[in-house]
Amino acid sequence: MNSRERVLAVLAGRTPDTVPIIPVLDGYYAPRVIDRPNDECFLDGACMAEALAAAFDRFGYDGALAEMGLGSEPNVLGCPVEVEGHDVPLVVGTVVDEPADIDRIGVPDPWADGKMEPVERLVELVGSRGVVLGSVRSPFEYAATVRGLYEFMTDFYRDPRFVQELIEAVKPATVAVGRALAAAGADAIVLKDSFASCSMISPEHYLEFAWPAEAEAIGELKSFAPVILHICRNSMPILAEMARTGADALEIDSPVDLARAREAAGSGVILKGNIDAAEVIGKGTAADVAAAVKEAMEAARGAGGFILSTGDSIPVFAPEENIKALVEAGREYGKYEN
Amino acid sequence: MNELLERFKQAIIAGDADASAGLAEEIRAAAEAKPDDIFEYLSAAMDVVGGKYETGEYFIPEMLRSAEAVEKAMAVLEPYMFEHKHEQSGVVVMGTVKGDIHNIGKNIIVSALRADGYEVHDLGVNVSTDKFIDKIREVEPDLLMLSAFTTSTKPALIDIIRRLEEEGLRDRVKVISGGASHSAELAREVGVDGFASDVKSSLAVTRRLMGR
Repeated sequence: MNSRERVLAVLAGRTPDTVPIIPVLDGYYAPRVIDRPNDECFLDGACMAEALAAAFDRFGYDGALAEMGLGSEPNVLGCPVEVEGHDVPLVVGTVVDEPADIDRIGVPDPWADGKMEPVERLVELVGSRGVVLGSVRSPFEYAATVRGLYEFMTDFYRDPRFVQELIEAVKPATVAVGRALAAAGADAIVLKDSFASCSMISPEHYLEFAWPAEAEAIGELKSFAPVILHICRNSMPILAEMARTGADALEIDSPVDLARAREAAGSGVILKGNIDAAEVIGKGTAADVAAAVKEAMEAARGAGGFILSTGDSIPVFAPEENIKALVEAGREYGKYEN
Repeated sequence: MNELLERFKQAIIAGDADASAGLAEEIRAAAEAKPDDIFEYLSAAMDVVGGKYETGEYFIPEMLRSAEAVEKAMAVLEPYMFEHKHEQSGVVVMGTVKGDIHNIGKNIIVSALRADGYEVHDLGVNVSTDKFIDKIREVEPDLLMLSAFTTSTKPALIDIIRRLEEEGLRDRVKVISGGASHSAELAREVGVDGFASDVKSSLAVTRRLMGR
């Protein structure tokens, strides 16, 4: 099996030759692989696609993560984004400052300004050999972005109805971007709902505000491509609910125990995770990485499908040998018996 | 007065901004509480809120609700507390460094410092090194306070210190970095004079560096 076949087998519910490896190696890390500054690549989609493809080739994992052009996707809803001088684009302004501003939110055109060109380019570069994953913010995360995270979360108590209406208003953006990613050639869609983590909000608030729109969006996105639901940090208390959204795979982070995650999520969903990106890949040694991979494989390689990954984005300071060690150990410990 | 301050503390813990602002009015009207007493109850309230977050009882929205209760109360109490300090404590330039847009913690510290008698020039969030340098030249502060919530802002902190040295300003201003994750180790690495992680430590470090 080549990389592409291996990932597609897991997404189709079949057992591959070995556990596929797709670390969260995105625009935060990739530019250093081609010795270009991050902001330059975020501003130049072709440069970013080249960086992501170079990382895919250098480390030999099975799938690449696409970045949209012009400083990623928050600005599809009109949020001002500052790119120059930053490692990752920074959202520096809001769109919705009061309930009446909800009317300003329309359905964006994700193809405008060439935003999808880097995705198409990455598909050209690696798509015949590996898979390409495109990522989009959930309605909950888009709502937090256009409102400003602090104001949004203060609204939970101040004006919960406003929160609900805002999430409803941005939902078409999630679906439109997901549709565009699939049309640009992405093999699967990563639905990012980081702010819904239990490291941020309570499980009760997750169910009240984030889950309904998350599940609805997943229902629609699945008609375009398989969906991987990403909630980083602690998602343990909500894993059963995450599985109930209908997502094909759940991307889970290092604070969650993989064996317990499998138990909570059931065997009907693929797990993707969960090597600690900052502490193990970023600050550990190659031996630490190999030990963490071995442990993850032992816990999750069994029934239900598993994709070895980092729990979150690989930081810019991570040593190259640790990413190599992730892939090497993944191949060593990931083989399935025929 | 202590009973009133205790109710004030409980309103902050509960995140009830209307109650905390109302109680702040009562504290001001009674005119008996010393600024340090108010700080003591305020810090105690924030400690309880932080503890509830650590034990998983509170999450970010609950922390923000309490932060709002502090902000509303401080808007009422700041002039009263400033007045009761009798003398100005010093001049502060403060802002969240480039690459970081967190403002809740910074706003609370700005408010607390004003109440503690400082003239505070708040430059906002995502502030460039140039903007800090320009403001320092303009107002010649005693203290420069750099808010940096995320750990990825370390290069921005280092850049500001380097520029202060290059411009010959480093000896003329004491620099404090602050944020929930700040430590003595980080402070040493970036070369600041002090660090703070909450209201209590901010007041302590500013008072120490100002020789108060």
